[in-house]
Amino acid sequence: MSSSSPSGTGDDLSERRGIPAAKFIQDVETYLSQSSLDSNSALAFHQERLQQYKVVEMKLLAQQRDLQAKIPDIEKCLEVVGTLEARKGTGEALLADFEVSEGIYSRACIEDTDSVCLWLGANVMLEYTCEEATALLKNNLENAKASLEVLVADLQFLRDQVTVTQVTIARIYNYDVQQRRVKQVAPTAITAADS
Amino acid sequence: MQVTWEDQQNINTFSRFNNRFHELQDDIKFAKEKCDNLEDAGNELILSDEEMVRFQIGEVFAHMPREDVETKIEEMKEATFKSLEKLQQEKESIVSQMAELKKVLYAKFKDSINLEED
Repeated sequence: MSSSSPSGTGDDLSERRGIPAAKFIQDVETYLSQSSLDSNSALAFHQERLQQYKVVEMKLLAQQRDLQAKIPDIEKCLEVVGTLEARKGTGEALLADFEVSEGIYSRACIEDTDSVCLWLGANVMLEYTCEEATALLKNNLENAKASLEVLVADLQFLRDQVTVTQVTIARIYNYDVQQRRVKQVAPTAITAADS
Repeated sequence: MQVTWEDQQNINTFSRFNNRFHELQDDIKFAKEKCDNLEDAGNELILSDEEMVRFQIGEVFAHMPREDVETKIEEMKEATFKSLEKLQQEKESIVSQMAELKKVLYAKFKDSINLEED
């Protein structure tokens, strides 16, 4: 059950990027007797697993939000560089109003130019030619989109495990309730037979 | 209540569809707003008299001649409208697939399962 099949469904993976898969239980009674757990310990175990999954889910969701904010930023930069490149041949200067501070704007006259400066983060800014800048930004965009895809797949896997665990908890609980009912009926049946 | 692996997979798939459905609703709302904003911008442009319009590219407002801005707005409207249509199609397909799964799951589990929004 723990072999990873190449079918791409990911259902047979025993874990993915450090997230353990929730094993599907065919039969609750067999599971409880095999693991020699009583209902309460099994319930506690699965509920703890559920909490752990929730923590990981929060982390992944935060990463997803960061990436989803980064992608439009990169696209905006690409647009600006594209506009500058389009202007290159014409020799016209580009007049642009930009924000100096909240509510305060200033005018800039951008001459025909071959190079742009890109902010790389960590207080580093580098000058590139327009083509290099476009290539770099496109590369960053591709990487961000690919990371987002992997992240979304991880989240889907995680949510599946959460669902399996929730269903397992419900089934163990129902099994427990059923057992208690049977135990309550059994002694009265014996006393009725005795009398 | 016996739950088979197939049932579990159906439940998982339903959950995935439900999540995707909510994401799509947000995306569609966002795209509709963008469409409306572009529409308003286009109308303002027609009403205004200026030759040079400040068009937002990235974080700055670039001075561009009016026809260029009109063309750009038209292009953006086209693109946003197309993506809105695609999102709505995906949403409809997911809604119908969810309805199918609901039938299957309710048939097996009847009252033991709840697939409605809370």
